[in-house]
This record gives sequence, structure tokens and C-alpha cells, in this order.
Amino acid sequence: MPVILVLDDSATMVMSLSHILKGAGYEVETGMNGREGINKLGEGIKPSVILTDLNMPELDGIGFIKEARKIASTRFTPIIVLTTESGGRKRDEARAAGASGWLTKPAEPNQLLSVVKQLCPAK
Amino acid sequence: MSGATEANERLVCAILAEQVAALRDRMDASAAFDLLWRTTALLSWLSGLLGDLSRHSANTNPVLERERAEAIAEVAEIRGELDRLAFSQAQRQDFARQIADCVVTALERMAVAEMPAGTSFSSNDLAALYVSDDQRKLHDAVVQRMNS
Repeated sequence: MPVILVLDDSATMVMSLSHILKGAGYEVETGMNGREGINKLGEGIKPSVILTDLNMPELDGIGFIKEARKIASTRFTPIIVLTTESGGRKRDEARAAGASGWLTKPAEPNQLLSVVKQLCPAK
Repeated sequence: MSGATEANERLVCAILAEQVAALRDRMDASAAFDLLWRTTALLSWLSGLLGDLSRHSANTNPVLERERAEAIAEVAEIRGELDRLAFSQAQRQDFARQIADCVVTALERMAVAEMPAGTSFSSNDLAALYVSDDQRKLHDAVVQRMNS
């Protein structure tokens, strides 16, 4: 089963995203900030797709993307930013850091799944 | 501004920061969302169970069969609606929490005593805390209104 790594500092968002992704046939790993995300990758988790928020404590989304791109196993893993930020400047910053795509909250469950399925079909 | 007035304003900011922080911390509705997700998971399981029961039943009653199909369709529709509702509410709550976070940070900085009142925090400092374009648009509208 493909693994999706979800990073968000909101427990409710993590719960919601996990539920939607698990219901669509994905295995879900979660973290409450970028540092926890990097730690998960260090534990050997190999996600097929990473969903990350931008504004998080300790290590934010941009910082996480930069660090994840330095790790061999996630150098080319699709990283989707899911955030309340819709501004072009932040988007450019995330793209420059290595983000593959962008979803602005509020997003619909189908919208989210359609993006994830395009990148990694559930088995 | 007198020293006593500055100290009083900082005290008000500190109190407000604590109050908004308490409000933000109460915004966590994980238990309600957990119940919603469990309900949708239960609906999904019941739907599957209905299908399994029908497949293993020797008695094929066309009326029951039609009702089963209708029930499964209805369950799927309600499940989809619940999913959308819960996801939308979770995102709204997250957004409200982030705005509250921004207000707390601003008030905490304004409560700091090292700088004279009125100089410790500017509207540009506040703008740097925003997490969405909606906040920036609102900020610009207020600045424009206050300057006109």
C-alpha cells in the first residue's frame, strides 16, 4: 500500500487528511511539524507522496522541503503544499525550495484525492 | 504618554494575549471530528455488510434487493457529504486557529516592557505574521480606512 506522509500542526487537519487518504486506500504517516517529518524520513519511511502545511512551528514547510530534498530517498518524491497561503510570493518560495504542487485551503476532499491519485494511484 | 499609562496598556495587552490564547486552545475539536470520521467509517462498513448479506442470501426478493441498492446508494451519498463537511470544518477551524495565533503573538509583543508603548510593534510587524492573503487584504482595507 502506498505511503503518504502528512505534515500539519493542526491535529484536526492531520486527522481529517488521514481519514480521507486511508479511505482511498493509502497508508498514512503523520507529523505535527517539519522536524517531525524529517525524523520520520530518518526512521526509514519512504513516502510515495508528501503533503505539507507551510506555517508550522520548529521547522516550517519551506524548511522541511529544503531538507527533504537533500535526502536521497525523497529527492524526487512529489511534495504537495496544502496551506491557507494563496500568495504568489510564498508559492514561488515553495517551488524554489522543491515543492511539486500547491493546494490552497479550503480544498475539497475530491480535489485532494485527485491530485494524490495522479501522483500515486492507490493499489 | 505617562509611565503609568504605558504600564497599564502593556498589562491589558498581556491579559488579552492570555485570553485569546485560551480561546485558541479551546478551538481544538478533535473529539467531534473523531466522532464524525468514525460515523463515516461505520456507514462504509454497514454498506459493505449489506452487500455481503445480499450475496450470501439464498432468498432473492426483488423488493428487498431494490431497497438494499437504494440504501447503499443513500449511505454512499451521506458518507460523501459527511466527508466534505468534516474536511471543510477542519480547514475553517485551522484557519481560525492561525488567526488567533497571529493575534496572540502581536499582543504578546505589545506587552513587552523594554520599548516605549507604541514603538514595540507596528502594522508592518503584524503583517509579517499573516498566513493567508485574506488576512493581508483585510489589513490593507483597514489601513486604507484609517488613513482616509
